[in-house]
Amino acid sequence: MSQYVIRRLGLAAVQLAVVGTIVFFLIRLIPGDPARASLGESATEEQVAAARQAMRLNEPLMGQFFGFWGRLLKGDLGTSLISGRPVMQDLPSRLANSLELVLLALAIAVLIGVLLGRIAATHADRPADHLLVGGSIFGISLPVFVIGTLLLLVFTFWIPILPPRRFVTPWADPLGHLQILILPVITLAGAACAVITRMTRAAMLETLSADYVRTARAKGVAEKMVVRRHALRTALVPVVAVTTVELTTLIGGTVLVETIFGWPGISSLLMNAVGQRDYPVIQAVVLATATVVILVNLIGDMAVRTLDPRTTES
Amino acid sequence: MGALSRRSFITASAAIAGAAVSSAIVSGCGNPTALPNSANEVRPGAAGTPSRGGILYFGLSTDPANFDPHVSTGAASDYLRQLAYNSLLQFDSNGEITGDLAEEYGFTDPRTYVVRLRQGVKFHDGSPLTADDVVFSIRRMQDKATAASSAPLLAGIVDVVAGDPRTVEMRLAEPDVALPFALALPPTLIVSKRWIESGANPKTTVMGTGPFRLVERIPGVATTYERFDSYFEPDLPYLNGIVFQPMGDDYARVTALRAATVDMIDYVPATHVDVIQRNPQLQFASDKNFGFGYVGFDLAQKPFDDVRVRKAVAMSIDRDAVLDTAFLGHGVAMNGSLMPQDFAPYATKFAGAMPYDPDQARSLLRQAGVEGLRAPMVTTSSYSVIFRPAQAMLPSLRSSGLDIDLVPQEWLTFRASVTNKEFPVHAWGTAPKFGDPASLADFLGSTGVLAKTFSFSDPEIDRLLSEGKKTADPSLRMEIYADIERRTLDLVPFTYTVRREQGEAFHTYVKGYAHPPKGAWTGTALRRTWLERSQ
Repeated sequence: MSQYVIRRLGLAAVQLAVVGTIVFFLIRLIPGDPARASLGESATEEQVAAARQAMRLNEPLMGQFFGFWGRLLKGDLGTSLISGRPVMQDLPSRLANSLELVLLALAIAVLIGVLLGRIAATHADRPADHLLVGGSIFGISLPVFVIGTLLLLVFTFWIPILPPRRFVTPWADPLGHLQILILPVITLAGAACAVITRMTRAAMLETLSADYVRTARAKGVAEKMVVRRHALRTALVPVVAVTTVELTTLIGGTVLVETIFGWPGISSLLMNAVGQRDYPVIQAVVLATATVVILVNLIGDMAVRTLDPRTTES
Repeated sequence: MGALSRRSFITASAAIAGAAVSSAIVSGCGNPTALPNSANEVRPGAAGTPSRGGILYFGLSTDPANFDPHVSTGAASDYLRQLAYNSLLQFDSNGEITGDLAEEYGFTDPRTYVVRLRQGVKFHDGSPLTADDVVFSIRRMQDKATAASSAPLLAGIVDVVAGDPRTVEMRLAEPDVALPFALALPPTLIVSKRWIESGANPKTTVMGTGPFRLVERIPGVATTYERFDSYFEPDLPYLNGIVFQPMGDDYARVTALRAATVDMIDYVPATHVDVIQRNPQLQFASDKNFGFGYVGFDLAQKPFDDVRVRKAVAMSIDRDAVLDTAFLGHGVAMNGSLMPQDFAPYATKFAGAMPYDPDQARSLLRQAGVEGLRAPMVTTSSYSVIFRPAQAMLPSLRSSGLDIDLVPQEWLTFRASVTNKEFPVHAWGTAPKFGDPASLADFLGSTGVLAKTFSFSDPEIDRLLSEGKKTADPSLRMEIYADIERRTLDLVPFTYTVRREQGEAFHTYVKGYAHPPKGAWTGTALRRTWLERSQ
């Protein structure tokens, strides 16, 4: 296992290097000038040229490229071209804000999704199953921005039990923080929950008709034990795999959720940076997000290998 | 198969939730420092006087790029600058020029402007303001490396000297009666020479003479200001603090105001003006003079080098329909001069000078030999105040036989397209820098930033603009600028569409705020704002 982890970490380093390189060149291909973004619309061409000089944007591209990697290897993610702040000053807290949303949403989606999937599978072709399958289609097909806006409309104006609040830290106001978490977390969890429900149902239907489950039943094992110990446990292997994929989808979903609910996460940082062509911030955010996705995939793969030794053999 | 019980499954889910909590802990390390709870308390003033204390929560349409006092990136960022710094002059609630750091000011002769500073003004670090700081600030703005927003307007100052610790003298290459406007603009702020020379980074830190000083800024989250106790204006500021929270989404900003999550917002979208005006708990302070939309032509590209074609486009725009569709009627259709009546009394003379006349437009296109002209028009989808009118004018353009293909682009891509003149026509929106016809130079002078995007240069207009700057007699000045507007309507390097209503909305318990109808978009009224009660 340790060899596997070392190999995967080595591969992760290569993947990050490729991502960093692609992002470095790709963002510079987009039309638009960070110097102009930093000066506002009334800036003259001479002023824009002076700002480009000050931002060292006129230096040869390859010089900038190697400078970026050189600084990165020393742990320096650079300084924002627009705000003048070191990227490391803002990145950790913004990343943590997003991860808080995503991980909470995932935990809720897994707990509820597996529970509902199990109910649907054990009640196959009965009203509960139809209701859950129909509901999950609804959850999958509704875009995040529709769910978010509807939740905001319902719980802010129609039934004002969750009025919009200013962003507060869990330290300053734990209850207030919990309150502002509810709607964005539900919004994010909705689609993931639906996917996990369907996946659990499908996997369990397969395992419930497997030979070993029939054998367990023939041996007189109680149905509850058959479902819990034999069917569900095996069915969870593909669920773990799909959960890994869902986590990366959730990270993408934060772009809209953070906008709708004014959540100061990494996606809104990236959106602003792209709008202003703030190259160091874009590079840092993409690398940080890629690191999270790669690590999550690694953890997911390790979990699957632990659960199902057949994957190790293959 | 490895063992996985329900318990271990729940444990795994709990571990994910635990990681989320850990994230919350980490996020707490980089999030806003709250002002003390006691700062929220509002103490009623004596009868007829403003209450004191409280914190104003302000939902800001744009998260300011940085704090550089001399580089404006928009009206929203100017609010922050003007609360921490002062200018020599400012625009009062009616938009008239009045002193800010200057106690006395004026031309001693057409080429010399003298300012006498107030006594007892201190910077946030306790050091006194001197004439040397003013001289340094003006030179910093003139320095090309600063890329100051007011630099083009201060270019006529050939020398600036400190007569004594409280007197500053500016000598001009030629008379410029619009100089006081430049000195009152939001990004013409005075900084501490010693502070800047000490190596401080004015992009990330703030140290001015203004009524508030910076507590903390977390980009994308909040910028927190607290009261500066040694502020020079007696009794000001009334508030203990102001917290600016960026809320880029129009709907989210208005929702936050309606739900009293914030006390005040800027940049009320036209689609929400009615909702706000109907709400008895809210107030709306606005103008219909500054922000406007226009269609610009690249005069170097055929067939727009032909004035008949440009005029045909101008006469094909149903401005009333654009106003109704794009801004629900909240604004003014611009079928005459560029300058509004409040800035230029001559404006009434031009009312209806550019009518909606599809028949005449078709005739002009026929004369120019480009009937059924097909052309791409670039605009930006990033700002609704630009995109909506661009979309709304398409039906009337098409009814005149013009086949205009609207190309929406993201803001900086659009800017690059316009600067590089990649399209023959563009739809944009902007505002005059200040409320005086001298600001026409930006649009029409051959060195004007926007005139360059039209490839426009006219020696006669340049001569008139130069004459306008030198002419002190108000009625004579207006005649000169009326001539410029007349010539612009003849040459049509660009055609203006609608002037939108723009302003701030706030709860009725927010007092003392005013939106000047002229002068400039300025945030100085926030210095005098107070809360009637605690939120």
